[in-house]
Amino acid sequence: MAKKSKSVLVVGAGIAGIQASLDLAEMGLDVHLVEESPTIGGRMPQLDKTFPTNDCSMCILSPKMSECARHPGITLHTLSSVTSITGDPGNLKCRVLKRAKYVDPVKCVACGLCEEKCPVKVDDAFDMALRKRKAISRYFLQSIPAEYTIDKEHCLYLTKGVCKLCEKTCPAGAIKFDDKDQEVELKVGAVIMATGIDAFNPIGFGHFGYHLYKNVVTSLEFERMLSASGPFGGHVVKASDQKEPKKLAFIQCVGSRDESINKNYCSSACCMFAIKQSIIAKEHIKALEPTVFYMDIRAFGKDFDKYYDKAQNQYGVKFIRSKISEIREKEDGTLKLKYSLENGEIRYEQFDMVVLSIGLEPRKNLEALAGQLDINLNEFGFCRSEAFKPVQTSRPGIYVCGGMNGPKDIPESVVAASGAVAGTLKSLKIERQALAASDGESGEINVIGERPRIGTFVCHCGINIAGVVDVKKVAAEAGELPNVEHAENVMYACSSDCLETIKQRIEEHHLNRIVVAACTPRTHEPLFRETIKEAGLNPYLFEMANIRDQCSWAHMDEPELATSKAGDLVKMAVAKARNLSPLERLPIGINPKALVIGGGLAGMIAALSIAEAGHEVVLVEKDKELGGHVRKLYYHLSGKDPQALLSETIQKVKKHKAIELLVNHEIQQINGYVGNFTTTIHSPKTDKETTVEHGAVIVATGAKEHRPSEYGYGQSTRIVTQTEFEKMIHDQSFPKGRLRNVVMIQCVGSREPDKMVCSRVCCSDAMKNGLELKKVNPRADIFVCYRDIRTYGFKEKYYTELRDKGAMFLRFEPDGKPKVEVQTIDDPNSKLTVTAFDPIMEKEVVIAADLVVLSAGIDALEENSTLAKMLKVPLNADGMFLEAHVKLRPVDFATDGIFVCGLAHGPKDMDETMAQAQAAASRALSFLTKESILAEGTIAEINADLCSGCGYCEEVCAYTAIEVNPETQVAEVNDALCKGCGTCVASCRCGALDLRGFSNKQLFSVFNELELIKED
Amino acid sequence: MSTDSKSGGRIPIENGIEQTLRKVLKESLKSDLIDALLLPVKVPSGDSYAWILMQDPALVEEEASPMAAVMPVQGAKALKSLTRKGNGSLRVAAMMRPCEVRGTIELSKLNQINLDNVTLISYDCPGALPLSDMSDAPQDTEEAFMGLLSERNFESTAVKPVCQFCTEFSMGAADVHIGMADPDTSQLLLISGSEKGTAFLSATGLKVDEEPSAWEKQTDSIQKKRIQQMDKAFQTIQPMVEGFDNLADTFSNCIGCHNCQSACPICYCRQCYSDSKESSLESAYYLDKAEKRGGISLPHDRLMFHVGRLSHMSLSCVSCGQCTDACPVSIPVAKVFSYVAAQTQQAFEYKAGKTAGEAIPLKEYKEDELKKIHEMTKSAESQESPHE
Repeated sequence: MAKKSKSVLVVGAGIAGIQASLDLAEMGLDVHLVEESPTIGGRMPQLDKTFPTNDCSMCILSPKMSECARHPGITLHTLSSVTSITGDPGNLKCRVLKRAKYVDPVKCVACGLCEEKCPVKVDDAFDMALRKRKAISRYFLQSIPAEYTIDKEHCLYLTKGVCKLCEKTCPAGAIKFDDKDQEVELKVGAVIMATGIDAFNPIGFGHFGYHLYKNVVTSLEFERMLSASGPFGGHVVKASDQKEPKKLAFIQCVGSRDESINKNYCSSACCMFAIKQSIIAKEHIKALEPTVFYMDIRAFGKDFDKYYDKAQNQYGVKFIRSKISEIREKEDGTLKLKYSLENGEIRYEQFDMVVLSIGLEPRKNLEALAGQLDINLNEFGFCRSEAFKPVQTSRPGIYVCGGMNGPKDIPESVVAASGAVAGTLKSLKIERQALAASDGESGEINVIGERPRIGTFVCHCGINIAGVVDVKKVAAEAGELPNVEHAENVMYACSSDCLETIKQRIEEHHLNRIVVAACTPRTHEPLFRETIKEAGLNPYLFEMANIRDQCSWAHMDEPELATSKAGDLVKMAVAKARNLSPLERLPIGINPKALVIGGGLAGMIAALSIAEAGHEVVLVEKDKELGGHVRKLYYHLSGKDPQALLSETIQKVKKHKAIELLVNHEIQQINGYVGNFTTTIHSPKTDKETTVEHGAVIVATGAKEHRPSEYGYGQSTRIVTQTEFEKMIHDQSFPKGRLRNVVMIQCVGSREPDKMVCSRVCCSDAMKNGLELKKVNPRADIFVCYRDIRTYGFKEKYYTELRDKGAMFLRFEPDGKPKVEVQTIDDPNSKLTVTAFDPIMEKEVVIAADLVVLSAGIDALEENSTLAKMLKVPLNADGMFLEAHVKLRPVDFATDGIFVCGLAHGPKDMDETMAQAQAAASRALSFLTKESILAEGTIAEINADLCSGCGYCEEVCAYTAIEVNPETQVAEVNDALCKGCGTCVASCRCGALDLRGFSNKQLFSVFNELELIKED
Repeated sequence: MSTDSKSGGRIPIENGIEQTLRKVLKESLKSDLIDALLLPVKVPSGDSYAWILMQDPALVEEEASPMAAVMPVQGAKALKSLTRKGNGSLRVAAMMRPCEVRGTIELSKLNQINLDNVTLISYDCPGALPLSDMSDAPQDTEEAFMGLLSERNFESTAVKPVCQFCTEFSMGAADVHIGMADPDTSQLLLISGSEKGTAFLSATGLKVDEEPSAWEKQTDSIQKKRIQQMDKAFQTIQPMVEGFDNLADTFSNCIGCHNCQSACPICYCRQCYSDSKESSLESAYYLDKAEKRGGISLPHDRLMFHVGRLSHMSLSCVSCGQCTDACPVSIPVAKVFSYVAAQTQQAFEYKAGKTAGEAIPLKEYKEDELKKIHEMTKSAESQESPHE
């Protein structure tokens, strides 16, 4: 038996590293998260918005960052890096270099006084050097951990031995000039590498004049310009004259798809990035005229084509297929672009500003790191992962996710992260986790029946609040309010000594409600709740007034009014505190078993991952055989054999003792909720029903190949789909006669007005089958009629290869589709003619085709809607299962305990499917490894006497946490599923619903206070 | 309800409209199709009507007033009290005004009425007379209403104010509809609006094979006039409603009795929040407020009650006018509610109770609806004169 450990190392704290750490920590493992920079977060904090939903990047990321920083199972090592790893999986020794921060993170309260005083200005890397920061600084405003560090390369004292201004200014005594680098050794069972990507640096590249011409910027710089928290507050202006641009050009593939610089790969995200930026920029500047110059628009992700369509038709973004040959700057800073159209025509156009859509490339230090850690890189310098092993490095025990092993967007990185977690589990010791003692019963002080005795603490936050608001006055006034037993002003409410003070005051004054007037509850409420819990109070007897973000920061120039407002905010918080009551978080038992629906590749991998972690799985497949769509695949671009993978996987599934396999079975009914599902499974063959109790569900029901209704499909044996063609090559079962001209037609049943979806895999499948055909029949002439070639990532090289082998690519527009004619109808062997328009030669091409291969897309299964109804989870407009959040929760549903993977979620290739299946397994395991979870304290509750059973609440609940009982006609809240969002409460006109912790009574007491204040 | 399912049949009017109708209804009760009828019956004192669930055919022939002059209890409320706990096994036919049918449809969408075993019968309504007319002069009122029906008078100014500009006076989601607007005064035109309706009509022995085109033409022309009336009425109502001060003035003599809410068919809450103990506050609050303002009126929050009700039910308001009938101090509550309802329902392109299949707007989300509402609010703001 190989050795196993409870500890695991994650290297890199971008979104992938954060996700991996959270999943592992939720399974009860000890996670060491090592990050090179002073903060966790990675690239996402630099982004303004995210495609295709235009969600604010920081808004969706920061809760994950806080969760990561707070999680008791995660130890953060920022400003640190791994220097070596020795040993075997299950028993690895990792040396980590922790660089000196020169600021004591325990003492630093991130007040920012030091930065104000520091005389040294340095380029701010976070803002792409568009502004300056100081030699002592916080990486960015919301960085986590919230601490300052000194840049030793630039600090005057550390370089020249003079200054020390920060030390003199720091009220917390946190500056530590004698800080030293340290090396620590961590013993772990497995390692996940997630060191991320760099962006291509276009200095001196092409004739684009980056850094020579003022108004040429990179897409990352432009992103910071768009960001409201960026150097220009979201106001986009030209560097030449500080005026808004009118004509804006995006140039795609700068540093991508370029063999001359060894970048014969597609960076995958830049097309969508440019589309997003053009939309957001247009929202900022109404008169803006954005133009995107591109080779192919690669909008291949879920709902991406709809976003592309929106950019063209709703925002009027112009897209020109061309290559830019040159940019010249005119005297006024205007840029003259020279470009050639498809037909070779040269054009010139002037723009005010040019954004270079720079590609993604391996991190600069990856080569050195790979050498140190003994992991292999691929031909482009990314970490190498073999086909069908999407989250593994070349070294056993070390896994990889995020952009480190290839360009990925955010959801792909998150999926890979959770997928990598599943990989590590065989080297880790996972135990069923009992509830931590502190979470359940505790010797809480009973406050029920006692009159409120409120303690109020008003925070200076250094000068953040006290620089504007007269905090002493606010504290003194608070002391006069009814039920306030104690009020004081404190320098930093969140500092460890002040937290001790709060605990002491609770004891001294028998306080039973606490109000802290400081910053935002979003980041600090958990800390204060934990503190009062330690003092014996129920954590929900706490209220926060935000007198910083919403007061001192917002009213910097009006200190008197700000003071008065702060006083009012405190009054309102006290009013609410008066009405607070203790809340309980009820434990919900979790059944450790999982149900996986669908026995294709996704379902099998998910089932195996869960079973290998020691949990029982029921795997249900409606077909007689396992394997799903992969049964029809014979080739893979990598050269590996999908059938070999399939039979190996099927063998593993059949052999695994923890997997109960039910082929030829159908799901009949699913009841219950997270941890407690009961599912009825029916066998049509025996007409018998089986009932299974389980804690989680994974939906892996797959999809199907589109059945073409155009291009003469069905009229001739010489018109086939891409999968039929693949079988033909494999079986050598080509139609009789000549096989010279093979015409492939792309986007059949995809990217149509009624189905604006790219099927993602068809372009690569065309390359794959084209290359396979060339192997068996080198004389075949291949014609590919396409709209955009979407061979994203490392698949690009196969596109190049097929082109090099002489395949002809003919582009068509949706209104000029190629025409397929069967010369003799009713003759299955009839000759075919394909007429297509060649935009390069600008004339029609007539091909006497021996075979027409239709790249039919992927369609959702009709039966998805039945299953979706049973599970009460949503489908998108195209009938695919819709995840909880397209960016950060790509395999979860909004309803806890249910997960999705594979084609049921959307089109994807085999590696992506395998990574996603592993991800779904990890996410399920983060619940299943617990004996029980705690329901939220802040949940809805119903007064049955007032409920009329109208069902509004049921319709508006996103979590299926409330239902009208048909017997009693009264709505019932499921404590396990309720997230406390309050939507049902707002929808209830009968006033039968209320939200614990935000009850009508509590809120009205706040409003009434406000009303009285307003009339002052 | 698609028009092509609309098929009509006729029976000659003998001994007046009411008597003819009673006969039809009696026939239905004798058939195997209907177990009971829900119909208005005059109360013993003769100055009002009550809803009676009857199973005796003789009672129908002697007592029923299927087209009552006034509307003391909204039919939807009566049907709710019958079916709120499920439909049971009884198959019921209920005869109602179109606004009562609309109320019924709304309540069925809100799980308050179960229509599974219910056949709804409606008629072209000339408008209900004010409730007070009936208590003041029962006989005159009844005769006046019968006069409107027999003369096909759909432009009377004697009917309740909201009825005068009611545009949904004709066939809606009812299973059977009586075409009182039909030009032929010698016969009753009965129209089927659903399979249930066709079954009902054939149970009464009626042949339904006629396309009622003359009736349709007539109702269209009445509706056009009613729309004009509505536009005119809304011009006078607008200054009573828009702007906080104006609204406060309109409700200034409200005595806080909440009769409007009790009479409203849509207010389906078992207990109104405004009557709950949660809504009453500590005296200190009122004293504080009085001190700051110099004085406050008590009971407090009378206007808030109406605003709350508007926000809760205006999307489902069927403009039946029950609230005005119920108001002891003659506030034109129904005009205000009808005006606001027209705006909110228009924002969601919804007509309360018009079709059974259409979901209540707040129960479903359409991506562009917020945009539309935003545009409406903006245009309303630009029209509104500044009040401050």
